[in-house]
Amino acid sequence: MRGLLAVLRTALADALARRGAFWAQIVMMVLNDLVLIAFWLIFFSRVDTVRGWDGQRVLVLFAVLATGAGLVLGLLSNCRRIPEAIVRGRLDETLTLPVRPLPHLLVSRVDTINLGDVVVGVSLFALVAHPTPSRVALFVIGTLLGAVVFASFLIIAGSLAFFVNRDEPAGLALHAVLLFSSYPVDIFTGPAKLLLYTVVPAAFVAAVPARLVEQPSAAGAGLILAVAAGFAVAAWAVFTLGLRRYSSGSVWTRAA
Amino acid sequence: MVVMSALPDSPTGPAIQARGLVRRFGSGPAAVEAVADLTVTVEQGERLAFIGPNGAGKSTSIKILTGILRPNAGHARVLGLVPWQERRQLARRIGTLFGQRSQLWFELTARQTFHMLAAIYGLDRGTQVRRVAELGELLDAADLFDAPVRTLSLGQRMRCELTACLLHEPQLLFLDEPTIGLDLLAKQRLRELLVQLNEVAGTTIFLTSHDVADIEHVADRVVVVNAGQVIYDDTVPALRRNLLSTKLIDVGLEHPAAPLSLPGVSVLDQGETTLRLAVDTTATSVREVLDAVLIGCAVSDISVTDPPLEQVISRIYQQPGTPAGAGP
Amino acid sequence: MTARRLAVPLLTAGGRLLADRGAVIGDLGFYLIVTVVLSALWRAAAGPGGEIVGYSAGALTWYAATSEAAICAISIRLIAEVGDDISSGDVVTEMLRPLPVIAVRLSVQAGRSLVRLSILVVAGAGLCWITVGPPPSGTGALLALPSLVLAVAANLVLQHTVAAVAFWLRDTRAPWFVYQKLVFVLGGMLLPLQVLPDALQPVALALPFMTMAYAPARLASGSVEPWLLLVQLAWLVVLVPVVVATFRLGENRVQVVGG
Repeated sequence: MRGLLAVLRTALADALARRGAFWAQIVMMVLNDLVLIAFWLIFFSRVDTVRGWDGQRVLVLFAVLATGAGLVLGLLSNCRRIPEAIVRGRLDETLTLPVRPLPHLLVSRVDTINLGDVVVGVSLFALVAHPTPSRVALFVIGTLLGAVVFASFLIIAGSLAFFVNRDEPAGLALHAVLLFSSYPVDIFTGPAKLLLYTVVPAAFVAAVPARLVEQPSAAGAGLILAVAAGFAVAAWAVFTLGLRRYSSGSVWTRAA
Repeated sequence: MVVMSALPDSPTGPAIQARGLVRRFGSGPAAVEAVADLTVTVEQGERLAFIGPNGAGKSTSIKILTGILRPNAGHARVLGLVPWQERRQLARRIGTLFGQRSQLWFELTARQTFHMLAAIYGLDRGTQVRRVAELGELLDAADLFDAPVRTLSLGQRMRCELTACLLHEPQLLFLDEPTIGLDLLAKQRLRELLVQLNEVAGTTIFLTSHDVADIEHVADRVVVVNAGQVIYDDTVPALRRNLLSTKLIDVGLEHPAAPLSLPGVSVLDQGETTLRLAVDTTATSVREVLDAVLIGCAVSDISVTDPPLEQVISRIYQQPGTPAGAGP
Repeated sequence: MTARRLAVPLLTAGGRLLADRGAVIGDLGFYLIVTVVLSALWRAAAGPGGEIVGYSAGALTWYAATSEAAICAISIRLIAEVGDDISSGDVVTEMLRPLPVIAVRLSVQAGRSLVRLSILVVAGAGLCWITVGPPPSGTGALLALPSLVLAVAANLVLQHTVAAVAFWLRDTRAPWFVYQKLVFVLGGMLLPLQVLPDALQPVALALPFMTMAYAPARLASGSVEPWLLLVQLAWLVVLVPVVVATFRLGENRVQVVGG
């Protein structure tokens, strides 16, 4: 634990040292979120509710997503870089250290820009969600569990690169889960909806935690807790299994 | 001189014992064996050069022995541990330096990285401060530790990298092409440091390179690999006698030179203003040849080089007693 | 003659893109996901048999598929890429060629975008047909095809104009970003312009962004309004000279000031 904290601290220092056009990027990030918020405001000026979701609930969903995904892509930025690390052999550095590779890898890169999303998410919740102590507690717990599902999904998708040695599928998976998570899951029906509760668990990243804030229930909390635990275990298992096939970026062909 | 603490609980057996290691990349008909039936033993305290041409399987071997890669077949024990099963225990006791990768954080100072590594290896504050100071002195690098790594030259960076991988007092140091890209002076420096480290602290050195000079100046024993197999294994003096006895001398001339006749010297190429000699140093020393050339010719330029490794390897194959079926 | 010489980069670029199967599948996958999500949202909002600002659920599905195809046909990072080529000085080597820099660049991008557009249109039409049936108006759908080409053309031209700020400012990331958002909202990619607040609609309709997503999507969603094609053509007539002039000014600046 002391090691992981030291790595995270170093990664933070590194992020602050290479921030470049830091403020410009933060402003762009915030602007991006504001455009999406504007989209929902315009949308709900013409539509009252969509399958039980009104404007406020969708904004809570958006707050959960921005906070959770911002935390993951900001503090555990390597979540999205796993395939690149596998294909280019960048796990070598981690594997020469006496550490558990997955946690070490996750905390060893911080992207401060994505932390801008966290600011937007938390502010949005404070502004529109009528925060009471219990709602805040549910927001925090739900967001963190959603973030666990999100990170686990990225790790699983990224670890596929151990088996196929390509990094494009994981890029698509990231876009897909982010997009599907940004909308109320109930707009989908049939197999698509089933998919979002299982293979691409976008429902659990934002919609289910947001629903928990609006309609607290022990069953809802238990469900998302179980799903988060399940995905975390699966992520660890897939990464560990894949690591046995790690080839350190060696590209060997007979011609060479 | 800085005194390093003696090796704790050092097991008696050899530092490295590998038998029949095989590692394939790819699958099906396109699969390639980067390491094919590699067997090697390294005693504690040895300085071993593990050499071979590009693609011979040197890096793959190191990665198996450090636990980064799993072999498809074979057995290995490094400091008594099976690398790919007990990687984390092993990592506490070995150091690894990859010439083309960096342990250091580019934007930060080396000291910041050391601080992180100390936490990872569980060194307490006092030990950390003492080690960094010791190594700073030994590697003459203390003044480099507080500059952002990206501002350092490659040679300076290498000394910081070396500090990073020695922080936890490893018993065994793996270096993969540590001199690659360094200028001549920095190479020389690094070689001296490695010898010193071995002599002072007893650290076993396992070094890969495709630079013949690395072998001569660092190692006391040489293992040559080609196509994933050991094709030569002997002490450096023996290697020098048998295989590195040839030196190349390139001379730039102001006027065409008179013919030169010395035992063991052959003219490889002669032009109006150039002369290339191959010297068998067991017959005539380089010094004698240089004297003769400087006296007999109008020299504008002169250089002495080692034959490229490929040439050394092809001579290994020409010698009797090389393993059957290991030919290229 | 010049037209023939410009056809070569166009065809080569198109062919090269087709050959990169991984990239094509990635683009297609992204397009399908965006379209599925957006059309599901609108269908759910309209409800069965219902409508929003005159669009039925089916029409909204065709709208989303068409507007997304028009936008996704162009590399999402195009402005940043062109901007990097300009600020890094790579564009200087192109200035040595006998053809105008902007003409060759547009030709290359047109080749890539047309190949991508064709693939996306086929996939998008298939998706809509399966989920909500044929397009609301056959004539509208037919008019949407040339309109899509005009939409991509106008978008390419304007993106290159925006990227040309790199001749003066080093970084194009901020302009790229703002441009994208303008197209998303005022261009009608995320929502039909009629959904915008009443005060904003005439503004959006008067801007060139509406030719890049709204126009073809409006036609494909069943509104037979051929004048949209004329508006697109008119904007193209305005925008092309602007990009040519901008590049000429920029290149002059490079020659005078240096890269």
